[in-house]
Amino acid sequence: MPSLVIDKLTHVYPNDVRALDAVSLNIPNGLYGLLGPNGAGKSTLMRTIATLQAPTSGSIRFDDIDVIAEPQKLRRTLGYLPQDFGVYPRVSAYDMLDHMAVLKGVAAPKARRETVEYLLNQTNLWSVRKKALASFSGGMRQRFGIAQALIGDPSLIIVDEPTAGLDPEERLRFLNLLAEIGENVVVILSTHIVEDVADLCPRMAIIAGGRIVREGGPLDLIAELKGRIWTKSIARDELEACRANHQVISTRLFAGRTVVHILSDADPGEGFAAATGGLEDVYFSTLSAQRQAA
Amino acid sequence: MFFKVAAFEFRYQLRQPIFWIGAFIFALLSFGLMASSNIQIGSTDNIHKNSPFAIGRATLVFAEFYMFVVAAFVANVIVRDDETGFGGIVRATRMRKFDYLYGRFLGAFAVAAIGFLAVPFGLWLGSIAFWVDPETMGPFVARDYLYAYFVLGLPVIFLTASLFFALTTVTRSMMWTYVGVVGLFIGGQILGVVLTRPGMEHIAALWEPFGAGAFGAATRYWTASERNTLVPPITGDLLWNKVIWMSAAVALLALAHGLFRFQAGTVSKRARKAAALAVAAAPAEAFASVGPRAAPAKPVFNAAATWTQLIARTRLDAGQVFRSPAYFVLLGLAAAASVGNLWFATEVSTYGGRVFPVSRIMMQAVSGLFPFFSLIIAIYYAGELVWREKERKTQEIIDAAPVPDWMFVAPKTLAIALVLFSTFVVGILVAIAMQASRGFFDFRIDEYVLWWLIPQTIDAVLIAALAILVQTLSPNKFAGWAIMVVYLISTLVLGNLGFEDNLYQYSGGPAVPLSDMNAQGHYWIAAYWFRLYWSAFALVLLVLAYGLWRRGTETGLRPRLRQLPRRLSGLAGVIMGLALVVFAGSGAFIFYNTHVLNPYRTALGDEKWTADYEKKFLRYETLPQPKIAHVTLDLQIWPHQTRVVAHGAYVIQNRTNAPIGVLHVRFMRDVIVGALKIDGAHLQTEYPDFNYRIYAFDKPMQPGETRTLSFASTFQQLGFRNSGNVVRIMDNGTFINDQELSPQIGMDRRLLLVDRTKRRKYGLTPELRLPVLGTPGADQFEGLRRDSDWVKADITVTTDADQIPIAPGYKVSEAVANGRRTARFVTDSPVLNFFSAQSARYAVSTVNYKGVAISVYYDPQHPWNVARIQRAMIASLDYYQANFSPYQFHQVRVLEFPAPDGSFAQSFTNTIPWSEGIFFIADNSDPDRVDMVTYVGAHELGHQWWAHQVIGADEQGEAMLSETMAQYSAGQVMKHMYGPYMMRRFLKFELDSYLRNRGGSVLPEQPLDRVETQDYVYYRKGSLAMYRLQDQIGEDAVDRALRHLLHDFAFKGPPYPTSVDLIKDLRQEAPADKQQLITDLLQKITLYDVKADHAVAKKRPDGRYDLTFTVDAKKIYADGLGHETPAPMNETLDVGAFDVDPGGSGFNASKVIAVQRVAIHSGVQTVTLTVTRPPKFAGVDPFSELIDRDAAATITKVAGP
Repeated sequence: MPSLVIDKLTHVYPNDVRALDAVSLNIPNGLYGLLGPNGAGKSTLMRTIATLQAPTSGSIRFDDIDVIAEPQKLRRTLGYLPQDFGVYPRVSAYDMLDHMAVLKGVAAPKARRETVEYLLNQTNLWSVRKKALASFSGGMRQRFGIAQALIGDPSLIIVDEPTAGLDPEERLRFLNLLAEIGENVVVILSTHIVEDVADLCPRMAIIAGGRIVREGGPLDLIAELKGRIWTKSIARDELEACRANHQVISTRLFAGRTVVHILSDADPGEGFAAATGGLEDVYFSTLSAQRQAA
Repeated sequence: MFFKVAAFEFRYQLRQPIFWIGAFIFALLSFGLMASSNIQIGSTDNIHKNSPFAIGRATLVFAEFYMFVVAAFVANVIVRDDETGFGGIVRATRMRKFDYLYGRFLGAFAVAAIGFLAVPFGLWLGSIAFWVDPETMGPFVARDYLYAYFVLGLPVIFLTASLFFALTTVTRSMMWTYVGVVGLFIGGQILGVVLTRPGMEHIAALWEPFGAGAFGAATRYWTASERNTLVPPITGDLLWNKVIWMSAAVALLALAHGLFRFQAGTVSKRARKAAALAVAAAPAEAFASVGPRAAPAKPVFNAAATWTQLIARTRLDAGQVFRSPAYFVLLGLAAAASVGNLWFATEVSTYGGRVFPVSRIMMQAVSGLFPFFSLIIAIYYAGELVWREKERKTQEIIDAAPVPDWMFVAPKTLAIALVLFSTFVVGILVAIAMQASRGFFDFRIDEYVLWWLIPQTIDAVLIAALAILVQTLSPNKFAGWAIMVVYLISTLVLGNLGFEDNLYQYSGGPAVPLSDMNAQGHYWIAAYWFRLYWSAFALVLLVLAYGLWRRGTETGLRPRLRQLPRRLSGLAGVIMGLALVVFAGSGAFIFYNTHVLNPYRTALGDEKWTADYEKKFLRYETLPQPKIAHVTLDLQIWPHQTRVVAHGAYVIQNRTNAPIGVLHVRFMRDVIVGALKIDGAHLQTEYPDFNYRIYAFDKPMQPGETRTLSFASTFQQLGFRNSGNVVRIMDNGTFINDQELSPQIGMDRRLLLVDRTKRRKYGLTPELRLPVLGTPGADQFEGLRRDSDWVKADITVTTDADQIPIAPGYKVSEAVANGRRTARFVTDSPVLNFFSAQSARYAVSTVNYKGVAISVYYDPQHPWNVARIQRAMIASLDYYQANFSPYQFHQVRVLEFPAPDGSFAQSFTNTIPWSEGIFFIADNSDPDRVDMVTYVGAHELGHQWWAHQVIGADEQGEAMLSETMAQYSAGQVMKHMYGPYMMRRFLKFELDSYLRNRGGSVLPEQPLDRVETQDYVYYRKGSLAMYRLQDQIGEDAVDRALRHLLHDFAFKGPPYPTSVDLIKDLRQEAPADKQQLITDLLQKITLYDVKADHAVAKKRPDGRYDLTFTVDAKKIYADGLGHETPAPMNETLDVGAFDVDPGGSGFNASKVIAVQRVAIHSGVQTVTLTVTRPPKFAGVDPFSELIDRDAAATITKVAGP
């Protein structure tokens, strides 16, 4: 049973910005969601695990591999889909996937060909395999990205913001693909889209300001908020007063009026109704608490 | 709006680093040009470095280079909107296309123009640098700088800015614009070369876009004083050139406006393509399951996998280069540009002679540009490949893959090596194509590969390795490129400043002289030791690059330095260690060779040595010394050991009127003197550094007394040198002369520093001149050697048994023993003390003609011109024996020697060494070209009279008696063989060469009778003057005069003849009305300005035509610096009527309608001729005998029926 243990991982940039502040996580196999706003340190964490960056202090262990000391060992069983990646010009999808297969150690011609063909089919890029990668649309490029990440049957897969920029259909397809990945694999899904985590991940953590501020299974975390989320539809000019009196965790427009969610242990009255909390409420409430603490 | 846009653009571009970097670099270059005595563009010694001519020329050159900077500004105007993505926002405003385009252009152009001010600024600053020699600078004249900037530089900037602006508008790509820049630059260079051929000046003046052709045409025949003070007036061709090209620039701007589309061009096309693809690849339903998932392949990490990774990465990296359009364009440019070089490589002289395109010459031709392009490719693609992953944003995926850390540097290096190799292969293919197109199929692929492909590839890869390390260390690609450019410039500058040791010049090494006779000889050994040395260093650089490689997103230098020890532990460290060992070991061996076995010399060091020699010893040049009467030499040549050992003896005689107490004996610098013994003399003082010895006679040598001097000396090279390896002794093709081994008696001023600036630098007198014509006592010494008169010689040469030894003289014996061949040559008639010895594996062809054996000793690969040489000798013997005097020997021998030894032919007594590089490989298939083989052969044989029968005294005008007379003789042979129409072509080249070289001479010009070192006078003007003279007073008259001179002076000792004697003999044979002509041609610098005009032909009742035209004639006398005064003219010239322009092609006897000689005086006169058919052209001097700067104006078109 593989697992990833992160212990007090800290990364301080030369300009004294603390991108990661004593992050400790214990990630079992299966899909693990990492949720957080932009600039929270998600990508820094992903890159550090993916051996692309060395932390200032702390350790990462994947089973018996000390990732910081022996990154090459982890790379042999790693699949990484970066947040923002480009492609070589004038190279076809087939050739690039073939190239990545070689780089990942699937060099024997027969095995390589089978892997490449399988993955192209699985990501539905078979019909365009001879076309230049540079001419792909965003969604197709993401599919290629996950295809190369899956080469060589890795035990640790990191996907960083994979559905940003995909249309709803593509997003759905992508998530389905992730869901098919086997059980003996650690998959870390880093995103700021709450639904992705809610739909897929049995365990998650919320990271903000370089720190882990919440951790657990989504259902458990939602259960913690039971009976504490209240909602009301108000006029826009009432919002100021509402903020002053209550802990507003989110506002939304619906049918021309503002719908607020507030956090309150007791019934606040004033026309607030109890709301069934969702993961979004967990997320917003966590962030708002963290901001108040800061 | 327009001006606001322009102002914004101006401020924006002013802040770009390219502006400051460009200005800095050009200011530095201009400053260096002006302030460093070692860097020159176009200024020679007697015009000021800050003369308007020099400033103008420098500005033109810099303006052409500046186009690279200009392109950066104007292309940025167009592409930055698209590249930054900001374009959509800009285009959504109300800005009109006119304001957008031209406002921005104006701003960018203004910034480019301001940046170019760095050039006049740098030039000015350099001219006042405190260390410059004030004699090389004239007064500061602001007009010169303003003229250069506004008239010469700014139009070029405007033109290039408009051109690149239009180009970027069409291509919307910075890369393609830069391809255009390189293309225009190379095209400009080629055009410049093509347009310097005589006859193209007018075309060049108008159509050369950068104005250099116009400037060159306007100043072509200017003298030094004109170049120091005048700027070309903005009239005529210069004005039209500006008008034409400024109009073109405006047209280009208008074109840009018409072609510019506000919506992004290729971006939308690409988006459309992507959208189409997306549709194709998006199936209706979710990801299709392809059945049960097959057992996924697990990775295997073994040696085979690593090898496959290396191949895959190398192929990807190399593919990125090979498939990039820029590479094809660079390669195409190199090939296209080389076509020009290759084509002209076979045009070996300014006379239009041609040689066969042997592979050696083709290699030299492509070595003009391909190495330069390979440097660009190496540096450019090192940057591109090192930063490829980061720029394409693939680095996170690649870096996270399980490839070893070295799997980045190694494939990129291999990829660049492959690219460079293929570049040079293309160079070879182009050269071979050129050879084939000329019908020459002896390709010598092995020579191309061994002599060129492999060494050039290695040298280029060395630079690539450095570039890779630089790019690994530098914070971005452009900084890396800038550093490499600075490195390139520094290699040029360092060499000029005296830092020549190839042990610290990265990728430096001695040149390998190539020859068909000698192939690479043993010179490749030295070159490859240096290659081993630098390759080991390059390996260290690459290991360092691997150690510091950016993997992952950590790009700071310090963290990478921290990881360096970890990366270097293990095999990499071992490799680095081994490389360092090889580096140190080979370095030590090289040092031993270049500093211990051989003296380490630099050009500056040699200069200083020569200056010191002069300071110490020149005072002895007037000391009376004995003269050499008899020479005995025994030369042992060891061609494969680069060694010649000489044993010799002189019989010396005191030919002065007083006793001589001391004997000064000098050897050349690197001769090792084994023994030196002089009868009754002991060594008094010795100067070992200078190989100069002063002996004192125990009893002074009395007038008339003879003594014997015997010596043993060795000339050799052990191992190899840093540069300047000995080429006189070769494995096949040794050619040495006696002065390189045997002593000279007494001091003379040969081989001392000539350059005035250098002489001033070392505190010497400004000039060393020949004694003035008529100096008393000067005629006691002959012009070749002051220590000899006519001598007799006995020379024995020994070489390896498979080679033929040759020295001047009749061979009296030959023997082979112990693998060595010995031949003895004796001369018992008086000869000059001037001997050569040659040894090679020759083929011999001998023709006997009227008792003279004419032998050609040649390399079996070059049989093509042997018969022609013999024919030339026969024709020359006929003319010279009939018209001058009998030939004093029974043999003539022509011997081929290797090209690295020189590109000349030389006349020793009955022996003519002749370089393989000139006209042994001549291609005479085109009958319209001047027959250079015959010309050179006749000239050299002529020296058997003019030098080896009569030798001039050591004073001014000596060269007139030898070289000019040889030119005359050769001219006569050619005239009789080919006729006056071929001679006209020959004389036209002589005229152009003479006129061009007048302005660029070190010393002021001298007339023929007082000529010193001005070779353009005694060769070129000599031909013209003598040809005109024999045409005016008759060939027989001239030959009679020469016979008289020979009768009076041949083989006689002092007093030696001078130009005074020759002119006296000529005057005696010339009629009274030609005496002034002799003065004008031989004793003054005379120029003519003769124009024919207003030619009208009218038909007569009897069917013939009356032709009238005016002739406006001027005669001008000039002084040495070019100041001119008019002179009255009263001469006879040919006038005539013709069917074609005599100056064009196709002029021959059938095209002459009528020609006659008439009197022409200064001023305007009318000439009338009656001719039988309608004349198309009329004029004066159709055979181009006049020295006229505007020779074309002597002929005019006829208006008429």
